[in-house]
Amino acid sequence: MSTTENGKAMIQLEGVSKWFGDFQALKDVDLAIDRQEVVVVCGPSGSGKSTMIRCINRLEKHDGGRIVVDGIELSDDLRNIQEIRREVGMVFQQFNLFPHLSVLENITLAPRNVRRKPRKEAEERAMEQLRRVRIPEQAYKYPLQLSGGQQQRVAIARALAMEPKIMLFDEPTSALDPEMIKEVLDVMIELAESGMTMIVVTHEMGFARAVANRMVFMADGEIVEVGPPEHFFTSPREERTKQFLAQIL
Amino acid sequence: MSTQIDTLEPLPAPEPERPPGRKLSPREWMRENLFGSVFDTVLTVVFGLFLLWLAYRIGRFVFFDARWEIVERNITNLMVGSYPRDELWRLWAALFVLAASLGFGTGALGVQRRREVAEGRANPVGKGGLRRLGPLILLVGVLLWFGGSLEALLLVLAISAVGAAFNFLGMRTPRRLERYVPLIVLAGIVVAFLVVGSFGGVGWNRWGGLLLTVFLAVSAILLSFPIGVLLALGRRSSLPAVRAVCVAYIELFRGVPLITILFMAFFMIGFFLPEGVDPPSLVTRAIIGFVLFTSAYIAEIVRGGLQSVPTGQIEAAQALGLSPFRTTRRIVLPQALRAVIPGLVGQFISLYKDTSLVFILALTELLAIAQNITKQPDFLAQGLYVETLVFASFIYWTGSYWMSRESQRLERRLGLGER
Repeated sequence: MSTTENGKAMIQLEGVSKWFGDFQALKDVDLAIDRQEVVVVCGPSGSGKSTMIRCINRLEKHDGGRIVVDGIELSDDLRNIQEIRREVGMVFQQFNLFPHLSVLENITLAPRNVRRKPRKEAEERAMEQLRRVRIPEQAYKYPLQLSGGQQQRVAIARALAMEPKIMLFDEPTSALDPEMIKEVLDVMIELAESGMTMIVVTHEMGFARAVANRMVFMADGEIVEVGPPEHFFTSPREERTKQFLAQIL
Repeated sequence: MSTQIDTLEPLPAPEPERPPGRKLSPREWMRENLFGSVFDTVLTVVFGLFLLWLAYRIGRFVFFDARWEIVERNITNLMVGSYPRDELWRLWAALFVLAASLGFGTGALGVQRRREVAEGRANPVGKGGLRRLGPLILLVGVLLWFGGSLEALLLVLAISAVGAAFNFLGMRTPRRLERYVPLIVLAGIVVAFLVVGSFGGVGWNRWGGLLLTVFLAVSAILLSFPIGVLLALGRRSSLPAVRAVCVAYIELFRGVPLITILFMAFFMIGFFLPEGVDPPSLVTRAIIGFVLFTSAYIAEIVRGGLQSVPTGQIEAAQALGLSPFRTTRRIVLPQALRAVIPGLVGQFISLYKDTSLVFILALTELLAIAQNITKQPDFLAQGLYVETLVFASFIYWTGSYWMSRESQRLERRLGLGER
């Protein structure tokens, strides 16, 4: 069992495998992530990065191995899954805001329905989160009235409103126009600096250099290389990593 | 502490530019659209003459040739069929109650809507108010004209006044009571129903004419909609048994003509009832038949909507920890139903007109009465079918057109997210 620096890991993946029909998307993946650690996952498309983080909150069901999140092992038990999902926030490439609800309703929906917070308290907390992502003035608008960068920041606020212990980011800036990427990354950097445990699938290497504690490089459903960013970018060990970095840097 | 990373700075948004507006004078508009070329001119002249001729024929029929006395003398028959005339006051009383509760409800809703528009939370959808009731006001006007009764006119005016007064009251509902408005409206409808049917009143089995038509349509719509939604959800259920039952139901009832189902409701209901149980009344059977049929269609319309909701929406709801039930209720259904409003309303309009098929159950709704009155001694063999059919068509048309307009309005109102 892989151990981490301060003892018990926040997220523990042991021998996780996942099949889509005949195609094996994850092959025996081992990874342990510490409390307050920021891990950036990169790799060519189809390498299993998204699949791996989607297994952590059971958007995909893993076929083999164990996943333990904050001491709870993921099983088929729906209550178990719900408990983990409450602790794990997720931000998607396509934002996936609810278009029929206003920004404020998007953010208060889960706290009110899952955490059973009264409306007023939920709305106050939602406004706090909106200030945190710097768009409190958009509270009463609808998602499609906002720019992509604003929508993604609302999506981050929506995930944070559940007060998760872990945040998963699945290519959060890939669907954004270049001038909007910075506003989203700034919010993510602040979040990382506030001590959130984060797994970020991204190709934004500037972001990775700035805040990642560890880099994970995946290819063909396997973790090829793991290391601190300073080593990862300057002197990668594996040939596959070097090729990939040469292409994107 | 702040960390710099190199990405592009956001650019200031450019000033929106508008295409130069061009307002055409009527003359220019005609030249551009009607007489643009020789071919256009020929088409315009030909169709113009045809339309004039049509308008002339219709006008001559409606205002000179038609013998409307068959409708005038039978207006009460057409409205309520063989409903006992001594109890007509109950219907008027029910209309008063309905006007009060619906007026109150629309008033309260209107204020909420205006507030949402003011806060930028909802689309302004154009003028509301009386214009929304246009087709219905036209209908009532025509009915009063045919009725030719001062008493009826005064009653309608009084009902409108009550409606307007409660509308005014509704607009002044305190905000903390707003959540009870739907309950109040529902209570009003129930009271109106009781006024007609209970306390020595007239049960719906003795209703007829337009009253029966509207009752059949409204009750079948209200019952078939939730059943249809449940069937659509059941068809997508992960439980094979539920799925199989829903698929079997939908495919069975979609594959049978409505008229067959109504015949079966008439002849076969006895087979399915245990000994000694009285079969339900004809009107109830008709409603059951309509609901069986329409809910299958609604299920398929709603299923189309369910499929149009992207998986990302469901994943986002799951990732937030919403239960499957809440995900369906809060995220999937609202978006799915909004996407299929045109189809749903089409189905409802269809149902409204299909209520005329209950003549095969020997029920006398509007169209049956329109047919029957041509056989009265005074009008027998005088060929007055056109008058009665035109009158009945006009009633069906105003109701359908009103539903259609309201559905377009609803689409505009809910369409905010789609811009």
